[in-house]
Amino acid sequence: MHIVIINGSPRVQKNSNTDKIIQSFGKGLQASGATYELYSLSNRQEWDAAREAFIGHDQIIFALPLFVECVPGIMLEFLDSLPTERKSPAQLSFILHGGFDEGRQFRLGERFLQSLPEQFGCTYGGCLIQGGSFLIRFRDDEKMKKTMDKKMDAYIQMGQSFVSNGNFLTEEARKFIGYEKNPWIVHLLFALFIKRMVRKNFERFAQQWGCTRPLDDKPYLI
Amino acid sequence: MDMTIVLNTLEEGAVSERIGTLIKGDMEVINTADMKIAHCMGCNLCWLKTPGVCAIKDDYESILKKLVYAENLWLVSDTRFGFVDWRGKKVMDRIVPMLNMYVEFRDGLERHEFRYHPLNFGLLYKGQADQEFLEEWSRRVASNMAGQSLGVYKIKEGELCI
Repeated sequence: MHIVIINGSPRVQKNSNTDKIIQSFGKGLQASGATYELYSLSNRQEWDAAREAFIGHDQIIFALPLFVECVPGIMLEFLDSLPTERKSPAQLSFILHGGFDEGRQFRLGERFLQSLPEQFGCTYGGCLIQGGSFLIRFRDDEKMKKTMDKKMDAYIQMGQSFVSNGNFLTEEARKFIGYEKNPWIVHLLFALFIKRMVRKNFERFAQQWGCTRPLDDKPYLI
Repeated sequence: MDMTIVLNTLEEGAVSERIGTLIKGDMEVINTADMKIAHCMGCNLCWLKTPGVCAIKDDYESILKKLVYAENLWLVSDTRFGFVDWRGKKVMDRIVPMLNMYVEFRDGLERHEFRYHPLNFGLLYKGQADQEFLEEWSRRVASNMAGQSLGVYKIKEGELCI
């Protein structure tokens, strides 16, 4: 199996959480004997090659972060440049991720992605969804490392699963997201402890980035 | 504070004049077609390094400065794949500095805190699209901004069908 993976994130590859997910997923593909080629839409110079790959191959995966409840504008622009009819059939699958971890956050984006393959003359190969991606960028932070290593390992497994099943239309892929909605206990713990802990982490990251203003600063208010 | 901002992303600002007659109160229509606006690059600097200030220095900053004093935001957009097209989505992706990094539960969902004050959101669209899908998108976008959806309306041949 040979797979074309297109990274639909606008963030430069070096800092792209989507790229980290693809790298882990790709390890899983290779471990199961599959090969893949990767294109990143954040680099405009790769658009022509990505378009050619989309036209010429039969297994295509778009990996993308959720942006304002749907597909990032940059990926919509790329999709707009693709031919909507094709000579040979292909399967279009998706890896959708984002900062928040509740399944509900992704359902509208998933619905949009489900509607896409048909509009390009492709079949739908499912959508692998997982949240909690914000920390991938801070995966080397000692407090985050363990959780993030586990998260990345799970994507390796899903790469292997994709090769053996040929798509994401499996129970395993469906369950990958975890909670559809946070249980009440999380709401309670959030109010009591988690909120403060999360704020402190954000403030620590900001400090590492050289931020000198409060995170809730209102710069344009006169 | 009851200002309404309309971001018209249609080519050459089509229908801007008609919109001006439809929305009551203090209102400004901004035609984005001839403005220099890049895609959000998801760098997170507006949340973690320069809170509230976008790292991309282009014409969008003038929009942000106006949104700070607005109560309602309308997007006017063409459609593609049953959704708003990339021109319309682009100006919404850039709204991130209006929120801040902190998270809370709002409407029972994890949400980012709003940096200034709640902003209502509505959509006027052209072409073929899934009305119900756009209504759900509009509700979700409004919820992200701690506001209400102002509704989703289709523009027919230059006329607004409200």
